[in-house]
Amino acid sequence: MKSSEILYYAVHPQELRAIVQWMVWHNPVHERNPEKESETLKQCFYYLDFTSRSFAAVIKELNPELLVPICVFYLVLRGLDTIEDDMSIQLSEKEPLLRNFDQSIEKEGWNYDGNGSREKDRELLVHFECVVAEFRNLKPVYREIIKDIAKKMGDGMADYCNNAEHNIHGVNSIKDYQLYCHYVAGLVGEGLTRLFVESKLANPALLERPELHESMGQFLQQINIIRDIKEDLDDKRRFWPKEVWSKYVDKFEDLCKPENKEIAMHCSSEMCAIALENVTDCLFYLAGIKDQSVFNFAAIPQAMAVATVELCFRNPDMFQRNVKITKGQACQLMMESTQNLQVLCDTFKRYVRKIHKKNDPRDPSFLKISIACGKIEQFIESIFPTQKPKEITGKPVLDEKAKAEKDEAYWDGIYMAAAAGGALLFVTFFMFFIAWMAGARFDLAFSSMKDTLFPSGKGSGQLTNPEHKEL
Amino acid sequence: MQSAERIKSLGHVVITGGCGFLGHHLVQHIQQYHPKTQISVLDLRTLHNNFSSESTKYFDADITDLNSLRDLFEELKPDVVIHTASPHLDAPRAVLQKVNIEGTENLLKCAAEVGTKAFVYTSSASVVMEGGDLKNVDERWPVITGKDQPEFYAHTKGIAEQTVLRANRSKEHPQFLTCAIRPAGIFGEGDVQVIPGILGALKRGQYKAQLGSNDNLFDFTYVGNIAYAHLLAAGALLSTHAILPSIPLDMERVDGEAYFITNDTPVYFWDFARAVWKAAGASDAMLDPKKVWVLHADFAMFIGNAMEWVYWGLRKGAPSLTWQKAKFSTINRYHNVGKAKKRLGYDPIVDLEEGIKRGVQSVLEREGWKMGPGGVVEVKKKQ
Repeated sequence: MKSSEILYYAVHPQELRAIVQWMVWHNPVHERNPEKESETLKQCFYYLDFTSRSFAAVIKELNPELLVPICVFYLVLRGLDTIEDDMSIQLSEKEPLLRNFDQSIEKEGWNYDGNGSREKDRELLVHFECVVAEFRNLKPVYREIIKDIAKKMGDGMADYCNNAEHNIHGVNSIKDYQLYCHYVAGLVGEGLTRLFVESKLANPALLERPELHESMGQFLQQINIIRDIKEDLDDKRRFWPKEVWSKYVDKFEDLCKPENKEIAMHCSSEMCAIALENVTDCLFYLAGIKDQSVFNFAAIPQAMAVATVELCFRNPDMFQRNVKITKGQACQLMMESTQNLQVLCDTFKRYVRKIHKKNDPRDPSFLKISIACGKIEQFIESIFPTQKPKEITGKPVLDEKAKAEKDEAYWDGIYMAAAAGGALLFVTFFMFFIAWMAGARFDLAFSSMKDTLFPSGKGSGQLTNPEHKEL
Repeated sequence: MQSAERIKSLGHVVITGGCGFLGHHLVQHIQQYHPKTQISVLDLRTLHNNFSSESTKYFDADITDLNSLRDLFEELKPDVVIHTASPHLDAPRAVLQKVNIEGTENLLKCAAEVGTKAFVYTSSASVVMEGGDLKNVDERWPVITGKDQPEFYAHTKGIAEQTVLRANRSKEHPQFLTCAIRPAGIFGEGDVQVIPGILGALKRGQYKAQLGSNDNLFDFTYVGNIAYAHLLAAGALLSTHAILPSIPLDMERVDGEAYFITNDTPVYFWDFARAVWKAAGASDAMLDPKKVWVLHADFAMFIGNAMEWVYWGLRKGAPSLTWQKAKFSTINRYHNVGKAKKRLGYDPIVDLEEGIKRGVQSVLEREGWKMGPGGVVEVKKKQ
């Protein structure tokens, strides 16, 4: 722990409490059993820890039925990502790698060592044969789903790499931006949903409304893109759509200039407003999950995302440095998103209210944010109503019986208080009596107490005014 | 747009209160989207908001006068009646009683007698109000009338709505179909209540005070969306009439039902007010959230109540802050429009932002107000 962190938690004890509580009380729904795992699976979990900070923990607590499929799915996607991100790979080599990735994962012993040495997840692809081995052991239905998503995502990524326009100018319209998020996150949502439904851990109706899992992915990805603006810009990547930022600045880089502080916040508000439109769908989606471990897996990132919106919204710091929610906040959020939908909804509502409180009428997206917050509150009210139509009809009338009961309760209260007081008094007297019998001198105790409480005139003059003597 | 928009003609439509706020929007909406429709506007005075044309005629009529109303209906024989006429919220009780309750009964009688197919009544979302919070309420909530209903206006609207819905497929007139539209927080061009009230506060410099915590959600509905919903309802009733005497499935049935209509975007009460001020051109300094003075809800109601007594004592009329106003700006009042979406195919056609823009512009023009450089609304000479 850094000294700055110690200082932070000293003044935020409730966050420290959340960390302690999470560490002490969190019981995983399921735990993996490393003793029964094959060598290649152990390796897979090693690379899961190695490549993912946030997802590794929740994946490892998944229902045994989905533990390995989702771990493999994650590593496959991570593999694709590692190829796409690496600017040192030539396009002519990269494109077929991406497009054929769904076939590569079926070839026993397949791996890839063409990543640049600076690529942080290089090791995963160098030893990818362990993932392939585990992939080949999966049930055919799960294999089919993972393969299908790998194909769609690989093609989507290859299209973006090929698109020179995209590489130079970044994302153009809001629609393009959402399409990009679809390829990198919406497809993950689709794959996961199919896995959940196939394993009977989620309601099959989730597949009939694809816009719901699309929103799950869109929300997470859009929030990452908003939060990482500074980091991405330093790496010369631009994911914010020109359709949005061009309303505020002429050049994308200008968003980070100190003189544009206010304008940049307006721009990020519009991005937040667009992202918040997905939230009601996300909550609806989570209502369709039947298994606790799957719920936790899906809900935790969503809760983190809504807290991140609150952190970024009208926060000029995000244009100067990388902003992150604190560990204490994260633990609090994990506790609240590993229970049930109602607890999670309360969390969402709390953050929505915080966003609403930060909203500024001078911001061009003021009304949009207000509407987005109102919609989320209305949705939560619709699934967990605090009012029912019956309650509103007529006021309760006290009939004779109820009145008698109320009277009785009143007298019961009086008797109880009298009995308790009497018992206390009796015990007090009894103790004094025992003490007196044992030789206690209450007379001396009383007079010394009197002296300390009400000192006599003589003594007090000397004690309180020593200066007078000298004068 | 919805399928109902493509119907060229709704036949002969009578609009009561057709020169009023909602009424004249209805007339314009029909002229634009159902151009082959014949319109007869009935109102007490028909000089204002008059859009007469070849197909749109205006008639001076008093719906509380049954005999002359009957004669007029004999002459017009409308296919559809859209009944929007109603006195102002603050009108004397006797007037509210007479127009809203008796007037509506008269209209129902006359329309059914001349073979009108569809009758759409403009009710009010306040018919389910009991004074407290209303969160995401839908049509399962009961209509509150009599002593539990804090507003006499809403009481008369509720009674009238029940009369209208009872008249649907009645024994005497089984081919007469009715339904009711319950708009919430209507605003827009021609508005005399919501936007002028909010702009009036700006003009008096009261934009810095906020009553309550502003966590309360409120429905404000653009008048054009409400007009649109009325016509969807009229179209649906006509379609049902075409398949009489069969009754549609409960889940699809339109006749004999009431529908909440909103913009489907509840917003925090004071956010709406600020959005209106902003649309009127309030300066950044005026909108600075740091300068807002928050009064606790209970305290605001207490002050409002005290002001009422002081003003009453001084015989000065109504103060700008009353108990009712304080209460209104601190409670939740928003509705679920799922039923209208499912059964009428309703979806707002103008969003809140655009609605505010239109409403503010029209009210500023009408009142001769404009934003001065000093950030105050100045009064120009009225012509």
